[in-house]
Amino acid sequence: MKEEGAHGSPYLLIWIYLVVLALASVAASLVLPKAAAELTIYLLAVVKAILVALYFMHLKVERFFIHSLTLIPLALVLVLFLGLIPDIVVGR
Amino acid sequence: MSTAAHAPAEAAESTPFPSAKLGMWWFLASEIMVFGGLIVTYLLFRMAGPGWTADIHHNSTLLGTINTLVLLTSSFTMVEVHRARGRDDERRFRLNLALTILLGFVFLGIKGVEYAAHIREGLVPAKSMFWAFYFGMTGLHGLHVAGGIVANACLYAAAARPGGFARYGHRAEMNGLYWHFVDVVWIFLFPLLYLG
Amino acid sequence: MSETLAAPVEHGEPAGFWRTYVFSTDHKMIARQYMFIALFWAAVGGFFAYIIRWQLAHPDTDIPLLGRPIGPEEYNAFVTMHGTIMVFFVAMPLLLASFGNFLIPLMIGARDMAFPRLNMLSVWVLALASLILIGSFFVEGGAASAGWTGYPPLSAKPAYTGVEWGMDLWLLALALEFGSFLMGGINFLVTPMNMRTRGMGFFRMPLFVWMVMIASLIFLLSVGPLIAGAVMLLLDRNLGTSFFMAPGGGDPLLWQHLFWFFGHPEVYVILLPALGAMMEVMTTFSRKTIFGYRPIIIAVIVAGGLSFVVWAHHQFISGLDPRLATPFSVTTIIISVPFALIVFALLATLWRGSIRLATPMWFAVGGLAVFIFGGLTGIFNGSAAVDIYIHDTYFVVAHFHSTLFSSLFLGGFAAIYYWYPKMFGRMMNEALGQLHFWGTFLFFLAVFVPMHLVGVGGMMRRIANPGQYEFLAPLAGLNRMITMSTIFLLLSQFFFVFNFFWSMFRGRPAPENPWDGTTLEWTTLSPPPHGNWPGEVPRVYHPPYGYGLPGASEDWVPQHRPLPSGAAPRT
Repeated sequence: MKEEGAHGSPYLLIWIYLVVLALASVAASLVLPKAAAELTIYLLAVVKAILVALYFMHLKVERFFIHSLTLIPLALVLVLFLGLIPDIVVGR
Repeated sequence: MSTAAHAPAEAAESTPFPSAKLGMWWFLASEIMVFGGLIVTYLLFRMAGPGWTADIHHNSTLLGTINTLVLLTSSFTMVEVHRARGRDDERRFRLNLALTILLGFVFLGIKGVEYAAHIREGLVPAKSMFWAFYFGMTGLHGLHVAGGIVANACLYAAAARPGGFARYGHRAEMNGLYWHFVDVVWIFLFPLLYLG
Repeated sequence: MSETLAAPVEHGEPAGFWRTYVFSTDHKMIARQYMFIALFWAAVGGFFAYIIRWQLAHPDTDIPLLGRPIGPEEYNAFVTMHGTIMVFFVAMPLLLASFGNFLIPLMIGARDMAFPRLNMLSVWVLALASLILIGSFFVEGGAASAGWTGYPPLSAKPAYTGVEWGMDLWLLALALEFGSFLMGGINFLVTPMNMRTRGMGFFRMPLFVWMVMIASLIFLLSVGPLIAGAVMLLLDRNLGTSFFMAPGGGDPLLWQHLFWFFGHPEVYVILLPALGAMMEVMTTFSRKTIFGYRPIIIAVIVAGGLSFVVWAHHQFISGLDPRLATPFSVTTIIISVPFALIVFALLATLWRGSIRLATPMWFAVGGLAVFIFGGLTGIFNGSAAVDIYIHDTYFVVAHFHSTLFSSLFLGGFAAIYYWYPKMFGRMMNEALGQLHFWGTFLFFLAVFVPMHLVGVGGMMRRIANPGQYEFLAPLAGLNRMITMSTIFLLLSQFFFVFNFFWSMFRGRPAPENPWDGTTLEWTTLSPPPHGNWPGEVPRVYHPPYGYGLPGASEDWVPQHRPLPSGAAPRT
């Protein structure tokens, strides 16, 4: 077991996914029409972030309380975003 | 009289989460608000006035992609540090930590090359809203990468001392959480600033 | 289990002067360091208040003690710094950091904080921030003068204020202060989570601990966007970007949103520890269990959550999208509900209590009374339709001083008089305390109650010379009276200053539990030794505030003694 190194690592597969998704984003931005490209690259970014969070940051095995330390700030960021739309986006 | 706050004889009431891990996650929660604030502001401006992101094509998609892969790989090596600690493998611990630090330097180096090229072309922060955000966001992110390199270097030095691996090796998880967070921020900055 | 980094002092080895008083990781010493920083800045901030008031009452005359008149630019700097100092360098260091640090380990039965070295770093970072803020007065162009809220474009273009380095140093000092409190906040959150003594379940912790935890959480979650904004402002000032400058494509309103998204939760960050201290004092001096322990906690959590969706009530006349006015008015009115609950709970605690009147209790009750008054005027401000008339007038100034001063100073003094024996091992002089209280309370009212009239009479904020405006001439008499009251208010503080330092050396040595309190800090020596308890840490058998328990054979039961037979805990 000791000499398995990276080959036996469960994280290797995640790394491969991340690389593939990164390259796919680049490809999408070059190939797809604008609206579809934007949707794709941000969706893929979210997937990549979730992969890093769940597997590298071990959120998959952590209890919900630790998850809430991520979810609550994200919710507040959303509140900030929504609150600013009328002034910054619409009202300019 | 014991100054150690966790003397087992006075078993404390505690949550099931180790204090160091809790501390790091609280810190990351505040960091989500910092980068979240920046990213939200960027998104709002973009939604307000499409067209100023035409500057995006001045960014080298190649260099940005390379840097993305560099950081993703460094995230992998960082979690391998943690895994090596769990398997008591000091050699792999040191190897992967060194790789993570090295990749961090590579990332900053490539960013430096990019900045120099931009500035030579007159693409400075004052040039347009896009460049203001580009330098502001990647600059703040870069500072965080630098901080992570320093933290990892300190861990490397501490673990290199006699008995250090046993005593300090578990900190790899905390350093890792921070490093992965920095990676996640870049996962969003890359499409926002390079891919349009 | 917590990971305590190696203690700098080995058992039995005496630490030198530097390790004990300067580079200490002991939470109690760190607390005293925070307190001295806060009291220093309180004196500076108070002096600035005097300068501001003198200028308003006697514009463009020589200001006694300063020896010269001040012009409008300097006036703006004094107003800016008064606000910055009081909020960031007095309120937070005193209530949150000093008392939080001192009391949390003691109240939960821990020997120190979870991260003692991080704790030491936090107070050192604040000390550095203080030095930078002091330095900002002495650079060319003087100190920051764009208001404590730093709105661009005034703050973004040096040409508009004449202030160059001063504003950047101000931003740097604030950034460091934020860093200091993020570090402190992590300790305040993790320590009560993981280092409570046996028997100390979460709902057996004293309310003060809950208040500090929730305040730390609010700060942690709200400061991020402002840090982002500060980075943007620094770039606007120094690299010519236009995040907040309209000609370059930016938006000054953006800063206001980022600032107040933090700024409103921030006032609760200041308020909660003060309320917590007042709760501790009131229950002890009423000899009565606090009314509604759990509802209070829930109300505070609800208020904390709501505090994130009220911020734009600071921007009703800023050019804000009018469609935002109603939603933010609604949320602002709603947030008064949980605070009303807390106020009622405190009143119910006092009701039919066996009230012991000592200085801490006078300050706590006085603070509550003024807070109620200040909270009520908040309702006018929170309703957009009314706010349009009173925004940016002295009505607002009167409102927030009524709420902030009552909590920060009246609540803060309650805390100081209450825990001073534990912190310094001496009793403060009661007669001087009474003089201090009545001077502070009465002159506070004399300053800020008439100020509401000044505001409704139309006097605008942030003007250096009201005499320039004919329509303000009728208010000149009120302004002079307010200034005179301010001077007496500040003079009354000398009773405190003298008492504070004199008692440290000549006060009666304090017993372990001078006020017959039930919480754990009263079970050890005054001051507590390194490690907090000379022997074992006490374990806890029931919730705190076990005063007058029905069926008990004793008048009051501290937490570390089991309930006498027949007694039932209230919470």
